Amino acid sequence: MKEADLVTEAHVRPVKARRDLGARASQAIGFLLVLVVLAWLGVNLVRAPDNFGRVLLIGVSQGALYALVALGYTLVYGILELINFAHGDVFMLGGMITATLVAQVFALGENPALGSLIAALLVSLAAAIVGCAVLNAAIERIAYKPLRSAPRLAPLITAIGVSFILENVAIIWKGTRPVSVPVSDFSAGNGRKIFSIGQVVYTSDRLFVILITVPVLIGLIWLVKFTRQGKAMRATAQDKDAAAMMGIDVDRTISVTFLVAGALAGAGGVIFAFYSTEISFGTGFTLGLFAFTAAVLGGIGNLPGAVLGALLIGLIQNFNEGLSWYAPGSKWTESLVFAILILILVFRPQGLLGERTPEGA
Amino acid sequence: MANEAVLQVEGIHTFYGTIEVLKGISLEVRHQEIVTLIGSNGAGKTTTLRSINGLNHPRHGSIRFAGKNITHEPPHDIVRMGISQSPEGRKLFPRMSVLENLEMGAFQRRDRSELKNDLDRVYSLFPRLSERKRQRAGTLSGGEQQMVAIGRALMAHPMLLLLDEPSMGLAPIFVERVFETIVEINQQGTTILLVEQNAMMALEVASRGYVLETGTVALADDAKALLRNEQVRKTYLGETD
Repeated sequence: MKEADLVTEAHVRPVKARRDLGARASQAIGFLLVLVVLAWLGVNLVRAPDNFGRVLLIGVSQGALYALVALGYTLVYGILELINFAHGDVFMLGGMITATLVAQVFALGENPALGSLIAALLVSLAAAIVGCAVLNAAIERIAYKPLRSAPRLAPLITAIGVSFILENVAIIWKGTRPVSVPVSDFSAGNGRKIFSIGQVVYTSDRLFVILITVPVLIGLIWLVKFTRQGKAMRATAQDKDAAAMMGIDVDRTISVTFLVAGALAGAGGVIFAFYSTEISFGTGFTLGLFAFTAAVLGGIGNLPGAVLGALLIGLIQNFNEGLSWYAPGSKWTESLVFAILILILVFRPQGLLGERTPEGA
Repeated sequence: MANEAVLQVEGIHTFYGTIEVLKGISLEVRHQEIVTLIGSNGAGKTTTLRSINGLNHPRHGSIRFAGKNITHEPPHDIVRMGISQSPEGRKLFPRMSVLENLEMGAFQRRDRSELKNDLDRVYSLFPRLSERKRQRAGTLSGGEQQMVAIGRALMAHPMLLLLDEPSMGLAPIFVERVFETIVEINQQGTTILLVEQNAMMALEVASRGYVLETGTVALADDAKALLRNEQVRKTYLGETD
């Protein structure tokens, strides 16, 4: 018995040492990369502090928008272990609802008065949040629920199919050309000055993004942490059978999770429509992939992780596109973001804040 | 009252996909009894519990609880009617604290004022849990996790408590402790249906027992009689002649 132990240990040691070396090497490389990025940011900050501050603010706004969408991916993954590829398209339809309301119901022109702009915003928010929530829950009922006990690949491929269906719904509804939303105080680069620090101006377009995302995020934390429904969601995410044995209606809890994820996507769609003033049937696919990357970066299934990952992706994108000293530029944004996705999946599959799980490790 | 059946299972056939796991199981549990189901792996013990708690409805046969037919009720309604369970392998919520796990057990309850009493009851049964209430359930030892699983089921204030393999994977000293607690819970007035591989211990605390073999009831008798039964001694109590 003793001898056998010694033999196995002797075999194990070199393997373990090699693994340690590998881990240390990848740690060192990661550390070096972060150092290079920080140095690059530092030089940019010193050379053009105003530009740096401006880019930082844009990055935070964009990150907040990504967070709304990323949270939907992570909520659904947390409870069903399903990457809901249709999520980005639900977000896109939220934007389309907004575009329709603003252009056709409110008939706003360029640079509308603040009063009618806010009215259009609030009505859009209500319509897109409710519409996307119901749509998302309906998708779950029709497309995913019948596959609850099927192999995991089946709902995943179904999700991709639903994504195509939603994009085609948008094409039939709005056509293939981008739909434009009137430029307003809420549009990127067109905001009014709210305050300024030195040369860095804080404008209404940034403020409106934060004014919507922050209360929505606080509401979500409250829901998940402190309500009975949130408890049911957390329990169902951790163990569905055990949750059912506690008296939780698991099917209803999953529906509520899709409602919440859809609502977040709807709010995101509204922000996107006002902020970027142009939305097309393919918008959800690209932005959805960015948001999905953010969710994986933060640790899929982890809510604070999704927000952190989204802010980082927003910042990375805007530093890359906006900084003046040796920035790769917007051509490289997608390559950079997906390179990050690959690096994370290879070196830290559980993400920044995620925990090692049997399927994640 | 003492002899009234709380749970009556009649001729249930339960399937996993196309495989018939239970081939006509009948059993009953009377008020304030401890009844045990013993049998080897794959005999259908856990499936019987999953049929009762609504996670795997039987295709034929019926299950009556406290006078109501619950054969096709969903699990959350069955919990509300008064059946709760400590599952096989414990199935705690690993990222929740001990206290949160216990509170989850009371999810269906509306009588919030009574909860404090039940929590005190669980802490007096398992003083260890009161010391560890802020600790994450996933970081506890196996024995402590079993305490949480039983305590969590008790928080539902059940009329009937289902215990699935509560001694599995525990050190012998914990096994003793678990069976003592089962008796204590029963003496406080809770009816118990106990599934165990440790047939000896289970039959010692139970009043009646059922021996399952490949989805059917092979033997049903008083626990004392089963303990003396030659065949049971050979097959389940590990006696060689």
